[in-house]
Amino acid sequence: MTLRRPSGITLAVVLLATVFALFFLLPFAGLIWRAIEDPRAREALGDPAVGTALRVSLITTLISVALSLLFGTPVAYLLARRQIPGGAVLDALLDLPIVLPPTVAGVALLTAFGRRGLLGEPIEAFTGLSLPFTMLAVIVAQTFVAAPLYVRAARAGFEAVDPELEAIARTLGASRAHVFRRITIPLARGPLLAGAVLCWARALGELGATLIFAGSLAGRTQTLPLAVIAAFEGGPLGLPGAVALSLVLLAVALLLLGTLRLVAKRGLA
Amino acid sequence: MTLDAAFTLTAGRFTLDVAIEAADEIVVLFGASGAGKSLTLRAIAGLVRPDRGHITVDGEVLFDAAAGVDIPVEARRMGYVVQELALFPHLPVWENVAFALAGTRPDRRRRAGVALAALGLEGVADRSPGTLSGGQRQRVALARVLVRDVRLLLLDEPFSALDDAIRRALRLELRRLQRELGRGALFVTHDLREAYLLADRLVVLDAGRVLQAGAPDEIFSRPHSRRVAELLGVRNLYRGRVLATAPDSIEVEIGPLRWRCASWEAGLAVGDAVDVAVRSERVVLRRGDRPAVNGLDATIEAEEAYGANHLLHLRPQVGGPTIEVDMPARPYEVLGVATKKDWLVEIPPADLHVMRATGDVPA
Repeated sequence: MTLRRPSGITLAVVLLATVFALFFLLPFAGLIWRAIEDPRAREALGDPAVGTALRVSLITTLISVALSLLFGTPVAYLLARRQIPGGAVLDALLDLPIVLPPTVAGVALLTAFGRRGLLGEPIEAFTGLSLPFTMLAVIVAQTFVAAPLYVRAARAGFEAVDPELEAIARTLGASRAHVFRRITIPLARGPLLAGAVLCWARALGELGATLIFAGSLAGRTQTLPLAVIAAFEGGPLGLPGAVALSLVLLAVALLLLGTLRLVAKRGLA
Repeated sequence: MTLDAAFTLTAGRFTLDVAIEAADEIVVLFGASGAGKSLTLRAIAGLVRPDRGHITVDGEVLFDAAAGVDIPVEARRMGYVVQELALFPHLPVWENVAFALAGTRPDRRRRAGVALAALGLEGVADRSPGTLSGGQRQRVALARVLVRDVRLLLLDEPFSALDDAIRRALRLELRRLQRELGRGALFVTHDLREAYLLADRLVVLDAGRVLQAGAPDEIFSRPHSRRVAELLGVRNLYRGRVLATAPDSIEVEIGPLRWRCASWEAGLAVGDAVDVAVRSERVVLRRGDRPAVNGLDATIEAEEAYGANHLLHLRPQVGGPTIEVDMPARPYEVLGVATKKDWLVEIPPADLHVMRATGDVPA
């Protein structure tokens, strides 16, 4: 028996794949190597400023995800069942924040909710409250860019639920709300959870829109990604701080990814 | 229970215009696919909204377009079962059955258990619907509607996806259940045999309209129109003309043939265009003497065997239309039809049914 020699094409594919894998592996290796090698990076991990940024990030992203679920779920359902007049327009509009550069989203939010904005100005005139540079502004920015991801996933999930099951459930005497809670939501659970995780990840990484619309005030609007920028631009944490913050973000991201995988697996079962 | 439904509804290019009445009996809606049978059930269940008309059960108005009444689906108390069954895949059997029941969990579970037992299902309460056999799933779907006090069963080809043996068992069981419960049922099918076996009353639907409604025997022996006869499986349908009428029969001319017919629609007069129907099982091949009426010489032109029966295509020697004869294997062999091709054919007058001509005759 003779072994066939690997062809040139096989070798080329293996080579390309190796280079590609290294390209993605190396930056993470670098980050971890720097954290091990540089004691200041490890010290920075304990810096209260890191904890503050993490706190701001967790509070704002959790509220953003909650708002996305609250408003996005009914919209996604109605889009899936094609029950909204002008649904096609709304559908296209929902794609916009996904493809739009986040900085543009930030500027757009300012023109709407800023102190001189379409809605921002009358609100400030009547209540004296202004949205920009508050934690609420961070939440608005995150929700604006991240909610469409949830709506997309949820819509696909709802579309996969057979409307006949809902119809039959109603003939059995169950109200629409009961059917939605006991049939629709459980059957779309996988895509809904996956959408929520994607939405959270997007909110967590949000940078451009937040920076323009909410600024970068430590303890108030400075989320983890913004704190990384601040550390780079000569902030007190410095480069080691940036490494520490990046590690925290990486850890959270890995946690999210793990959850997503778990959800996907459960969804298949 | 009495149902009184008469409504029209338009869905795209299809228009449904039906009037259906039912008491505590099995009313079979029979028709080809696309006749509007399922849409009729969905409208009565409240899943689609008619444009005009009314739906009343026991005097209670469920829908009335003119009065603006439209009781929502969940309040209509209909036992609606579809061919696909639509069991909830994520819930165990007992929660499928107890889905919309109010009350505590143990109480709901107990009631589900009673309904499952009534259908001969024990020990499956905690299983997932996906792990059951087709017949078991069917019973779960029935238990799910019978667990509540429904006013009327709406059954849309519920047995079509099952094996023949299970279908037969379930038909008998449905009959028993329907009698025990004293509930009316509208049963949709396109299967002629199923329709005949189950129906106390038969409603023949075609292209969104009721063509004929009544006792199954009556409709089988006296279809109103060519289309009804076709739907009921009559293979021999001829366009002809009334030659003469007598108190007990009428004489019809079909091309060169003249037949005496003892079953006919009221109001026919000499010269009227008519359609004549003869079931292929009722045509007799004879040996010996020529019969007094409706005898003719014919030649077998073609034949096909299916299962235990033979279908013969006979051409009358004087010309005229082909006559199809359905003959079981036994007489086929006894008569020696395989080798003898020229026959004396007899059609008893009682088996010739004459209807007013409707529609175009297919070429």
